[in-house]
Amino acid sequence: MTEWLYEQDLVSQKYRILIAHEHDQLIRALASDLGVSVQELRRYMIEHIDMILLENIPARYKAAVAAGADADDPVARELGRDIFSRGIPLIPNQQMEEILKKIKERIEAGSPVPEAVAAGKAMVREVILR
Amino acid sequence: MKRTVDVNIPLGPIHPCFKEPARLKCETRGERVIGAEVELGYMKKGIERIMKGRPWQEVMFLAERVCGICSVIHNMVFIEAIEKISGIEVPPRAALLRVIANELDRMQSHMLANFSYCYTIEHETLAMYLLDIREQVMDELERLTGARVTCAYIVPGGVRCDIRNEDRDTLSASLDRIEHDLHRYAKMFETGPMIALRSKGIGILTEESALQAHVVGPTARASGIAVDMRTNHPTYRKLNFAPVVRHGCDNYARVMVRFDELSASIGLIRQSLRALSPGVIRGGGICKAGTLRYSGEAPRGELTYSITTDEYGRVAEIQIQTPSIMNIEACCHYMIIGVDSIADVTSAFVSADPCIACTER
Repeated sequence: MTEWLYEQDLVSQKYRILIAHEHDQLIRALASDLGVSVQELRRYMIEHIDMILLENIPARYKAAVAAGADADDPVARELGRDIFSRGIPLIPNQQMEEILKKIKERIEAGSPVPEAVAAGKAMVREVILR
Repeated sequence: MKRTVDVNIPLGPIHPCFKEPARLKCETRGERVIGAEVELGYMKKGIERIMKGRPWQEVMFLAERVCGICSVIHNMVFIEAIEKISGIEVPPRAALLRVIANELDRMQSHMLANFSYCYTIEHETLAMYLLDIREQVMDELERLTGARVTCAYIVPGGVRCDIRNEDRDTLSASLDRIEHDLHRYAKMFETGPMIALRSKGIGILTEESALQAHVVGPTARASGIAVDMRTNHPTYRKLNFAPVVRHGCDNYARVMVRFDELSASIGLIRQSLRALSPGVIRGGGICKAGTLRYSGEAPRGELTYSITTDEYGRVAEIQIQTPSIMNIEACCHYMIIGVDSIADVTSAFVSADPCIACTER
Protein backbone atom coordinates (compact mmCIF):
# COMPACT_ATOMS: atom_id res chain seq x y z
CA MET A 1 0.00 0.00 0.00
CA THR A 2 1.49 3.27 -1.08
CA GLU A 3 0.46 6.87 -1.15
CA TRP A 4 1.29 9.64 -3.59
CA LEU A 5 4.79 10.86 -2.87
CA TYR A 6 4.34 14.36 -4.24
CA GLU A 7 0.81 15.14 -3.13
CA GLN A 8 0.04 18.78 -3.66
CA ASP A 9 -2.72 20.74 -2.07
CA LEU A 10 -4.88 21.55 -5.08
CA VAL A 11 -7.77 23.08 -3.15
CA SER A 12 -7.06 26.69 -4.09
CA GLN A 13 -6.55 25.85 -7.76
CA LYS A 14 -9.73 23.77 -7.90
CA TYR A 15 -11.61 26.55 -6.14
CA ARG A 16 -10.46 29.02 -8.80
CA ILE A 17 -11.83 26.73 -11.51
CA LEU A 18 -15.18 26.56 -9.71
CA ILE A 19 -15.59 30.31 -9.34
CA ALA A 20 -15.16 31.00 -13.08
CA HIS A 21 -18.24 32.63 -14.60
CA GLU A 22 -19.88 29.58 -16.27
CA HIS A 23 -18.89 27.16 -13.52
CA ASP A 24 -20.28 29.47 -10.88
CA GLN A 25 -23.62 29.84 -12.65
CA LEU A 26 -23.94 26.08 -13.09
CA ILE A 27 -22.93 25.22 -9.52
CA ARG A 28 -25.38 27.74 -8.09
CA ALA A 29 -28.17 26.19 -10.19
CA LEU A 30 -27.22 22.65 -9.14
CA ALA A 31 -26.91 23.61 -5.47
CA SER A 32 -30.34 25.19 -5.50
CA ASP A 33 -31.80 22.13 -7.26
CA LEU A 34 -30.29 19.77 -4.68
CA GLY A 35 -31.03 22.04 -1.72
CA VAL A 36 -27.44 22.30 -0.51
CA SER A 37 -25.37 25.40 -0.03
CA VAL A 38 -23.01 26.48 -2.82
CA GLN A 39 -20.08 26.14 -0.43
CA GLU A 40 -20.99 22.55 0.46
CA LEU A 41 -21.32 21.57 -3.16
CA ARG A 42 -17.99 23.22 -4.02
CA ARG A 43 -16.31 21.39 -1.13
CA TYR A 44 -17.71 18.05 -2.27
CA MET A 45 -16.58 18.64 -5.85
CA ILE A 46 -13.09 19.74 -4.80
CA GLU A 47 -12.72 16.57 -2.74
CA HIS A 48 -14.13 14.10 -5.26
CA ILE A 49 -13.38 15.43 -8.74
CA ASP A 50 -10.00 15.98 -10.39
CA MET A 51 -8.97 19.26 -12.03
CA ILE A 52 -9.65 18.43 -15.66
CA LEU A 53 -13.09 17.02 -14.91
CA LEU A 54 -13.89 20.17 -12.93
CA GLU A 55 -12.86 22.26 -15.94
CA ASN A 56 -15.12 20.16 -18.17
CA ILE A 57 -18.22 20.27 -15.98
CA PRO A 58 -20.25 22.94 -17.84
CA ALA A 59 -19.57 21.19 -21.18
CA ARG A 60 -20.54 17.79 -19.75
CA TYR A 61 -23.71 19.25 -18.26
CA LYS A 62 -24.69 20.75 -21.62
CA ALA A 63 -23.90 17.47 -23.38
CA ALA A 64 -26.07 15.53 -20.90
CA VAL A 65 -28.97 17.97 -21.29
CA ALA A 66 -28.62 18.01 -25.09
CA ALA A 67 -28.60 14.21 -25.17
CA GLY A 68 -31.99 14.28 -23.41
CA ALA A 69 -30.88 12.71 -20.14
CA ASP A 70 -33.38 10.10 -18.87
CA ALA A 71 -35.91 11.01 -21.55
CA ASP A 72 -37.50 7.55 -21.25
CA ASP A 73 -37.88 7.60 -17.45
CA PRO A 74 -39.72 10.62 -15.99
CA VAL A 75 -38.92 9.74 -12.36
CA ALA A 76 -35.20 9.38 -13.12
CA ARG A 77 -35.33 12.67 -15.04
CA GLU A 78 -36.93 14.45 -12.08
CA LEU A 79 -34.27 13.05 -9.80
CA GLY A 80 -31.51 13.93 -12.31
CA ARG A 81 -30.06 10.43 -12.44
CA ASP A 82 -28.09 10.85 -15.66
CA ILE A 83 -27.03 14.40 -14.89
CA PHE A 84 -25.76 13.70 -11.38
CA SER A 85 -24.21 10.29 -12.00
CA ARG A 86 -23.01 10.36 -15.64
CA GLY A 87 -23.00 13.99 -16.83
CA ILE A 88 -21.52 15.41 -13.65
CA PRO A 89 -20.31 12.40 -11.72
CA LEU A 90 -21.28 13.55 -8.24
CA ILE A 91 -22.86 10.28 -7.13
CA PRO A 92 -21.53 6.83 -8.13
CA ASN A 93 -23.81 5.02 -10.61
CA GLN A 94 -24.59 2.17 -8.26
CA GLN A 95 -25.55 4.48 -5.42
CA MET A 96 -27.78 6.52 -7.72
CA GLU A 97 -29.52 3.35 -8.95
CA GLU A 98 -30.18 2.36 -5.34
CA ILE A 99 -31.71 5.77 -4.61
CA LEU A 100 -33.86 5.52 -7.75
CA LYS A 101 -34.99 2.03 -6.75
CA LYS A 102 -36.07 3.30 -3.32
CA ILE A 103 -38.03 6.14 -4.90
CA LYS A 104 -39.82 3.80 -7.27
CA GLU A 105 -40.72 1.53 -4.37
CA ARG A 106 -42.22 4.52 -2.57
CA ILE A 107 -44.23 5.47 -5.64
CA GLU A 108 -45.47 1.91 -5.99
CA ALA A 109 -46.47 1.99 -2.30
CA GLY A 110 -48.72 4.97 -3.08
CA SER A 111 -46.54 7.96 -2.33
CA PRO A 112 -47.06 10.93 -4.73
CA VAL A 113 -44.26 11.35 -7.32
CA PRO A 114 -43.12 14.87 -6.22
CA GLU A 115 -42.87 13.68 -2.61
CA ALA A 116 -40.88 10.57 -3.57
CA VAL A 117 -38.56 12.61 -5.78
CA ALA A 118 -38.03 15.10 -2.93
CA ALA A 119 -37.09 12.16 -0.70
CA GLY A 120 -34.66 10.99 -3.41
CA LYS A 121 -33.09 14.43 -3.60
CA ALA A 122 -32.72 14.34 0.19
CA MET A 123 -30.78 11.06 -0.17
CA VAL A 124 -28.53 12.65 -2.81
CA ARG A 125 -28.06 15.61 -0.46
CA GLU A 126 -27.09 13.21 2.32
CA VAL A 127 -24.33 11.73 0.15
CA ILE A 128 -22.97 15.21 -0.60
CA LEU A 129 -23.13 16.42 2.99
CA ARG A 130 -21.70 13.22 4.46
CA MET B 1 -7.72 14.11 -3.88
CA LYS B 2 -5.67 11.95 -1.51
CA ARG B 3 -6.24 8.26 -2.08
CA THR B 4 -4.55 5.00 -1.19
CA VAL B 5 -3.99 2.69 -4.14
CA ASP B 6 -2.15 -0.55 -4.91
CA VAL B 7 0.40 0.79 -7.38
CA ASN B 8 0.54 4.30 -8.74
CA ILE B 9 2.65 5.63 -11.56
CA PRO B 10 2.94 9.39 -11.88
CA LEU B 11 3.71 10.58 -15.41
CA GLY B 12 4.94 14.14 -15.72
CA PRO B 13 4.74 17.03 -15.14
CA ILE B 14 7.99 16.94 -17.12
CA HIS B 15 7.98 14.00 -19.50
CA PRO B 16 9.91 13.55 -22.77
CA CYS B 17 6.69 12.78 -24.66
CA PHE B 18 4.66 15.70 -23.34
CA LYS B 19 4.98 19.03 -25.11
CA GLU B 20 3.74 20.87 -22.05
CA PRO B 21 3.62 20.14 -18.33
CA ALA B 22 0.76 18.07 -16.91
CA ARG B 23 0.77 15.30 -14.37
CA LEU B 24 -1.11 12.06 -14.89
CA LYS B 25 -1.43 9.91 -11.84
CA CYS B 26 -2.16 6.41 -13.14
CA GLU B 27 -3.52 3.78 -10.81
CA THR B 28 -2.41 0.42 -12.06
CA ARG B 29 -2.90 -3.26 -11.40
CA GLY B 30 0.09 -4.99 -12.93
CA GLU B 31 0.54 -3.31 -16.32
CA ARG B 32 -3.14 -2.45 -16.68
CA VAL B 33 -4.28 1.09 -15.94
CA ILE B 34 -7.47 1.09 -13.88
CA GLY B 35 -7.80 4.77 -13.14
CA ALA B 36 -6.15 8.10 -13.74
CA GLU B 37 -6.23 11.55 -12.27
CA VAL B 38 -4.96 14.75 -13.89
CA GLU B 39 -3.11 17.47 -12.08
CA LEU B 40 -2.78 20.82 -13.79
CA GLY B 41 -1.68 24.26 -12.70
CA TYR B 42 1.95 24.22 -13.80
CA MET B 43 1.50 27.05 -16.32
CA LYS B 44 -1.73 28.82 -15.42
CA LYS B 45 -1.83 32.21 -17.16
CA GLY B 46 -5.05 33.70 -15.79
CA ILE B 47 -5.54 35.33 -19.18
CA GLU B 48 -9.34 35.65 -18.82
CA ARG B 49 -8.80 37.73 -15.70
CA ILE B 50 -6.26 39.93 -17.52
CA MET B 51 -8.74 40.45 -20.39
CA LYS B 52 -11.55 41.76 -18.20
CA GLY B 53 -12.06 45.51 -18.38
CA ARG B 54 -9.70 45.98 -21.34
CA PRO B 55 -10.72 47.34 -24.76
CA TRP B 56 -11.07 44.87 -27.65
CA GLN B 57 -7.94 46.33 -29.27
CA GLU B 58 -5.90 44.92 -26.38
CA VAL B 59 -7.92 41.75 -25.86
CA MET B 60 -7.46 40.60 -29.48
CA PHE B 61 -3.70 40.38 -28.86
CA LEU B 62 -4.23 38.63 -25.52
CA ALA B 63 -6.63 36.11 -27.12
CA GLU B 64 -3.91 35.01 -29.54
CA ARG B 65 -1.59 34.42 -26.65
CA VAL B 66 -3.83 31.78 -25.08
CA CYS B 67 -2.13 29.24 -27.34
CA GLY B 68 0.96 29.52 -29.48
CA ILE B 69 0.04 26.58 -31.70
CA CYS B 70 -3.46 27.63 -32.73
CA SER B 71 -3.24 31.40 -32.30
CA VAL B 72 -5.08 32.26 -35.55
CA ILE B 73 -8.34 30.60 -34.47
CA HIS B 74 -8.32 32.36 -31.07
CA ASN B 75 -7.92 35.64 -32.98
CA MET B 76 -10.68 34.65 -35.42
CA VAL B 77 -13.25 33.50 -32.86
CA PHE B 78 -12.74 36.57 -30.65
CA ILE B 79 -12.98 39.00 -33.57
CA GLU B 80 -15.99 37.23 -35.12
CA ALA B 81 -17.75 37.35 -31.73
CA ILE B 82 -17.10 41.11 -31.54
CA GLU B 83 -18.36 41.50 -35.12
CA LYS B 84 -21.52 39.54 -34.35
CA ILE B 85 -22.21 41.66 -31.24
CA SER B 86 -21.65 44.88 -33.20
CA GLY B 87 -23.27 43.86 -36.50
CA ILE B 88 -20.07 44.46 -38.51
CA GLU B 89 -19.99 42.92 -42.00
CA VAL B 90 -16.88 41.34 -43.53
CA PRO B 91 -16.04 41.86 -47.23
CA PRO B 92 -16.06 38.57 -49.23
CA ARG B 93 -12.35 38.80 -50.07
CA ALA B 94 -11.42 39.22 -46.40
CA ALA B 95 -13.66 36.28 -45.43
CA LEU B 96 -11.77 34.02 -47.86
CA LEU B 97 -8.39 35.31 -46.67
CA ARG B 98 -9.46 34.42 -43.13
CA VAL B 99 -10.20 30.86 -44.29
CA ILE B 100 -6.74 30.63 -45.90
CA ALA B 101 -4.98 31.83 -42.73
CA ASN B 102 -7.10 29.57 -40.54
CA GLU B 103 -6.50 26.48 -42.67
CA LEU B 104 -2.75 27.10 -42.84
CA ASP B 105 -2.78 27.34 -39.05
CA ARG B 106 -4.79 24.11 -38.82
CA MET B 107 -2.32 22.38 -41.11
CA GLN B 108 0.72 23.31 -39.06
CA SER B 109 -1.09 22.31 -35.86
CA HIS B 110 -2.14 18.90 -37.25
CA MET B 111 1.38 18.29 -38.54
CA LEU B 112 2.81 19.09 -35.12
CA ALA B 113 0.25 16.79 -33.47
CA ASN B 114 1.10 13.91 -35.80
CA PHE B 115 4.79 14.63 -35.34
CA SER B 116 4.32 14.33 -31.56
CA TYR B 117 2.46 11.05 -31.96
CA CYS B 118 5.10 9.53 -34.27
CA TYR B 119 7.82 10.72 -31.90
CA THR B 120 6.00 9.14 -28.95
CA ILE B 121 5.75 5.76 -30.66
CA GLU B 122 9.45 6.05 -31.59
CA HIS B 123 8.98 6.55 -35.32
CA GLU B 124 11.35 9.49 -35.47
CA THR B 125 11.89 9.34 -39.23
CA LEU B 126 8.26 10.03 -40.04
CA ALA B 127 8.14 12.56 -37.19
CA MET B 128 11.01 14.55 -38.69
CA TYR B 129 9.52 14.37 -42.19
CA LEU B 130 6.32 15.89 -40.78
CA LEU B 131 8.23 18.65 -39.00
CA ASP B 132 9.99 19.41 -42.28
CA ILE B 133 6.76 20.01 -44.20
CA ARG B 134 5.34 21.91 -41.24
CA GLU B 135 8.12 24.44 -41.75
CA GLN B 136 6.91 24.97 -45.33
CA VAL B 137 3.40 25.64 -44.02
CA MET B 138 4.79 28.06 -41.43
CA ASP B 139 6.65 29.90 -44.21
CA GLU B 140 3.38 30.28 -46.14
CA LEU B 141 1.62 31.53 -43.03
CA GLU B 142 4.39 34.07 -42.51
CA ARG B 143 4.22 35.16 -46.14
CA LEU B 144 0.46 35.76 -45.83
CA THR B 145 0.23 37.31 -42.38
CA GLY B 146 3.72 38.62 -41.64
CA ALA B 147 4.38 36.33 -38.66
CA ARG B 148 4.71 32.64 -37.87
CA VAL B 149 2.67 32.77 -34.67
CA THR B 150 0.51 35.42 -32.97
CA CYS B 151 0.09 37.20 -36.30
CA ALA B 152 -2.97 39.37 -35.36
CA TYR B 153 -4.09 38.98 -38.99
CA ILE B 154 -7.83 39.15 -38.38
CA VAL B 155 -9.27 42.50 -37.30
CA PRO B 156 -12.91 43.58 -36.91
CA GLY B 157 -14.42 44.04 -40.38
CA GLY B 158 -11.68 42.27 -42.32
CA VAL B 159 -8.03 41.29 -42.31
CA ARG B 160 -4.87 43.29 -41.75
CA CYS B 161 -3.23 42.87 -45.18
CA ASP B 162 -4.00 41.49 -48.64
CA ILE B 163 -2.31 38.62 -50.47
CA ARG B 164 -0.03 39.68 -53.32
CA ASN B 165 -0.30 37.97 -56.70
CA GLU B 166 3.21 36.53 -56.51
CA ASP B 167 2.49 35.18 -52.99
CA ARG B 168 -0.65 33.56 -54.34
CA ASP B 169 1.39 31.69 -56.95
CA THR B 170 4.02 30.70 -54.37
CA LEU B 171 1.27 29.41 -52.05
CA SER B 172 -0.26 27.33 -54.85
CA ALA B 173 3.11 25.83 -55.74
CA SER B 174 3.87 25.10 -52.08
CA LEU B 175 0.51 23.39 -51.62
CA ASP B 176 1.27 21.07 -54.56
CA ARG B 177 4.62 20.15 -53.02
CA ILE B 178 3.18 19.70 -49.53
CA GLU B 179 0.30 17.56 -50.83
CA HIS B 180 2.70 15.27 -52.68
CA ASP B 181 4.86 14.76 -49.58
CA LEU B 182 1.87 14.45 -47.30
CA HIS B 183 0.38 11.69 -49.40
CA ARG B 184 3.63 9.76 -49.08
CA TYR B 185 3.83 10.24 -45.29
CA ALA B 186 0.18 9.31 -44.76
CA LYS B 187 0.83 6.11 -46.73
CA MET B 188 3.88 5.40 -44.53
CA PHE B 189 1.71 5.74 -41.45
CA GLU B 190 -1.16 3.76 -42.93
CA THR B 191 0.95 0.78 -43.95
CA GLY B 192 3.64 0.71 -41.26
CA PRO B 193 3.34 -2.63 -39.41
CA MET B 194 5.12 -1.37 -36.28
CA ILE B 195 2.97 1.77 -36.28
CA ALA B 196 -0.15 -0.40 -36.44
CA LEU B 197 1.06 -2.44 -33.45
CA ARG B 198 1.36 0.71 -31.34
CA SER B 199 -1.78 2.40 -32.68
CA LYS B 200 -4.58 0.07 -33.74
CA GLY B 201 -6.92 -0.96 -30.95
CA ILE B 202 -5.06 1.26 -28.43
CA GLY B 203 -6.69 4.13 -26.55
CA ILE B 204 -10.27 3.20 -27.41
CA LEU B 205 -12.83 5.97 -27.04
CA THR B 206 -16.27 4.67 -27.98
CA GLU B 207 -18.88 6.92 -29.54
CA GLU B 208 -20.98 6.74 -26.38
CA SER B 209 -18.09 7.77 -24.11
CA ALA B 210 -17.13 10.51 -26.54
CA LEU B 211 -20.65 11.94 -26.43
CA GLN B 212 -20.77 11.74 -22.66
CA ALA B 213 -17.45 13.57 -22.21
CA HIS B 214 -18.45 16.13 -24.87
CA VAL B 215 -15.34 15.33 -26.88
CA VAL B 216 -14.72 17.65 -29.81
CA GLY B 217 -12.57 18.03 -32.91
CA PRO B 218 -10.56 15.24 -34.56
CA THR B 219 -10.82 13.18 -31.36
CA ALA B 220 -14.64 13.13 -31.68
CA ARG B 221 -14.55 12.66 -35.44
CA ALA B 222 -12.30 9.61 -35.01
CA SER B 223 -15.03 8.12 -32.80
CA GLY B 224 -17.66 8.48 -35.52
CA ILE B 225 -19.18 11.79 -34.40
CA ALA B 226 -19.63 14.23 -37.28
CA VAL B 227 -19.15 17.41 -35.27
CA ASP B 228 -17.31 20.35 -36.79
CA MET B 229 -18.12 24.01 -36.16
CA ARG B 230 -16.94 24.88 -39.67
CA THR B 231 -20.21 23.41 -40.98
CA ASN B 232 -22.03 26.37 -39.31
CA HIS B 233 -19.61 29.03 -40.60
CA PRO B 234 -21.00 31.02 -43.58
CA THR B 235 -17.72 31.13 -45.56
CA TYR B 236 -17.05 27.42 -45.11
CA ARG B 237 -20.62 26.68 -46.14
CA LYS B 238 -20.05 28.52 -49.42
CA LEU B 239 -17.01 26.29 -49.95
CA ASN B 240 -19.19 23.17 -49.40
CA PHE B 241 -17.13 21.99 -46.47
CA ALA B 242 -17.86 18.48 -45.11
CA PRO B 243 -16.21 17.06 -41.97
CA VAL B 244 -13.86 14.07 -42.07
CA VAL B 245 -15.20 11.19 -39.97
CA ARG B 246 -13.70 7.81 -39.10
CA HIS B 247 -15.07 5.03 -36.94
CA GLY B 248 -11.90 3.38 -35.62
CA CYS B 249 -12.15 5.02 -32.15
CA ASP B 250 -8.43 4.32 -31.51
CA ASN B 251 -5.08 6.13 -31.72
CA TYR B 252 -4.71 5.13 -35.36
CA ALA B 253 -8.08 6.65 -36.31
CA ARG B 254 -7.26 9.91 -34.53
CA VAL B 255 -3.95 10.33 -36.36
CA MET B 256 -5.51 9.34 -39.70
CA VAL B 257 -8.35 11.85 -39.22
CA ARG B 258 -5.68 14.53 -38.92
CA PHE B 259 -3.94 13.31 -42.08
CA ASP B 260 -7.29 13.36 -43.92
CA GLU B 261 -8.04 16.84 -42.59
CA LEU B 262 -4.69 18.08 -43.89
CA SER B 263 -5.79 17.10 -47.39
CA ALA B 264 -9.18 18.72 -46.77
CA SER B 265 -7.45 21.95 -45.65
CA ILE B 266 -5.33 22.00 -48.82
CA GLY B 267 -8.55 21.64 -50.83
CA LEU B 268 -10.20 24.50 -48.91
CA ILE B 269 -7.22 26.82 -49.46
CA ARG B 270 -7.19 26.04 -53.20
CA GLN B 271 -10.94 26.69 -53.40
CA SER B 272 -10.52 29.98 -51.52
CA LEU B 273 -7.68 31.08 -53.80
CA ARG B 274 -9.83 30.34 -56.85
CA ALA B 275 -12.80 32.19 -55.35
CA LEU B 276 -10.80 35.32 -54.44
CA SER B 277 -12.21 38.23 -56.40
CA PRO B 278 -10.84 41.78 -56.40
CA GLY B 279 -12.23 43.96 -53.64
CA VAL B 280 -11.59 45.61 -50.32
CA ILE B 281 -10.21 43.66 -47.38
CA ARG B 282 -11.60 45.87 -44.63
CA GLY B 283 -15.13 47.11 -43.98
CA GLY B 284 -16.06 49.50 -41.24
CA GLY B 285 -18.05 49.58 -38.04
CA ILE B 286 -18.12 50.46 -34.38
CA CYS B 287 -17.83 47.92 -31.57
CA LYS B 288 -20.98 47.95 -29.45
CA ALA B 289 -22.28 46.58 -26.18
CA GLY B 290 -23.71 43.08 -26.01
CA THR B 291 -23.38 39.52 -24.81
CA LEU B 292 -22.64 36.55 -27.03
CA ARG B 293 -21.50 32.95 -26.93
CA TYR B 294 -19.66 32.17 -30.15
CA SER B 295 -17.86 29.05 -31.31
CA GLY B 296 -15.35 28.26 -34.03
CA GLU B 297 -13.47 25.13 -35.02
CA ALA B 298 -9.91 25.18 -33.71
CA PRO B 299 -7.47 22.47 -34.87
CA ARG B 300 -8.34 20.52 -31.72
CA GLY B 301 -12.08 21.13 -31.83
CA GLU B 302 -14.79 23.52 -30.76
CA LEU B 303 -13.46 26.73 -29.27
CA THR B 304 -16.06 28.89 -27.53
CA TYR B 305 -15.83 32.48 -26.35
CA SER B 306 -18.55 33.81 -24.05
CA ILE B 307 -18.18 37.58 -24.18
CA THR B 308 -19.94 40.59 -22.70
CA THR B 309 -18.86 43.99 -24.02
CA ASP B 310 -19.84 47.48 -22.92
CA GLU B 311 -20.73 50.51 -25.06
CA TYR B 312 -17.06 51.56 -25.27
CA GLY B 313 -15.99 48.21 -26.77
CA ARG B 314 -14.41 47.02 -23.52
CA VAL B 315 -14.64 43.38 -22.52
CA ALA B 316 -16.68 43.30 -19.32
CA GLU B 317 -16.91 39.52 -18.98
CA ILE B 318 -15.18 36.72 -20.86
CA GLN B 319 -14.89 32.96 -20.57
CA ILE B 320 -12.98 30.79 -22.99
CA GLN B 321 -13.86 27.13 -23.38
CA THR B 322 -11.00 25.47 -25.19
CA PRO B 323 -11.28 22.08 -26.93
CA SER B 324 -8.44 20.48 -25.00
CA ILE B 325 -10.43 20.68 -21.76
CA MET B 326 -12.91 18.14 -23.08
CA ASN B 327 -10.37 16.05 -24.96
CA ILE B 328 -7.89 15.70 -22.08
CA GLU B 329 -10.70 14.74 -19.74
CA ALA B 330 -11.91 12.04 -22.14
CA CYS B 331 -8.36 10.87 -22.66
CA CYS B 332 -7.63 10.44 -18.97
CA HIS B 333 -10.97 9.04 -17.89
CA TYR B 334 -11.78 6.80 -20.88
CA MET B 335 -8.97 6.27 -23.39
CA ILE B 336 -6.19 5.26 -21.06
CA ILE B 337 -8.38 3.23 -18.75
CA GLY B 338 -7.81 -0.43 -19.53
CA VAL B 339 -4.75 -0.07 -21.74
CA ASP B 340 -2.62 -3.18 -21.38
CA SER B 341 0.70 -1.43 -21.01
CA ILE B 342 1.93 1.71 -19.32
CA ALA B 343 3.84 2.43 -22.53
CA ASP B 344 0.49 3.00 -24.25
CA VAL B 345 -0.57 5.70 -21.79
CA THR B 346 1.66 8.34 -23.36
CA SER B 347 0.72 7.39 -26.92
CA ALA B 348 -3.02 7.47 -26.12
CA PHE B 349 -2.59 10.81 -24.36
CA VAL B 350 -0.62 12.34 -27.23
CA SER B 351 -3.04 10.94 -29.85
CA ALA B 352 -5.75 13.24 -28.45
CA ASP B 353 -3.45 16.22 -29.20
CA PRO B 354 -3.73 17.72 -25.72
CA CYS B 355 -2.85 21.39 -25.42
CA ILE B 356 -2.10 22.35 -21.86
CA ALA B 357 -1.51 26.01 -22.82
CA CYS B 358 -5.13 26.19 -24.02
CA THR B 359 -6.45 24.33 -20.98
CA GLU B 360 -4.53 26.55 -18.57
CA ARG B 361 -5.61 29.72 -20.31
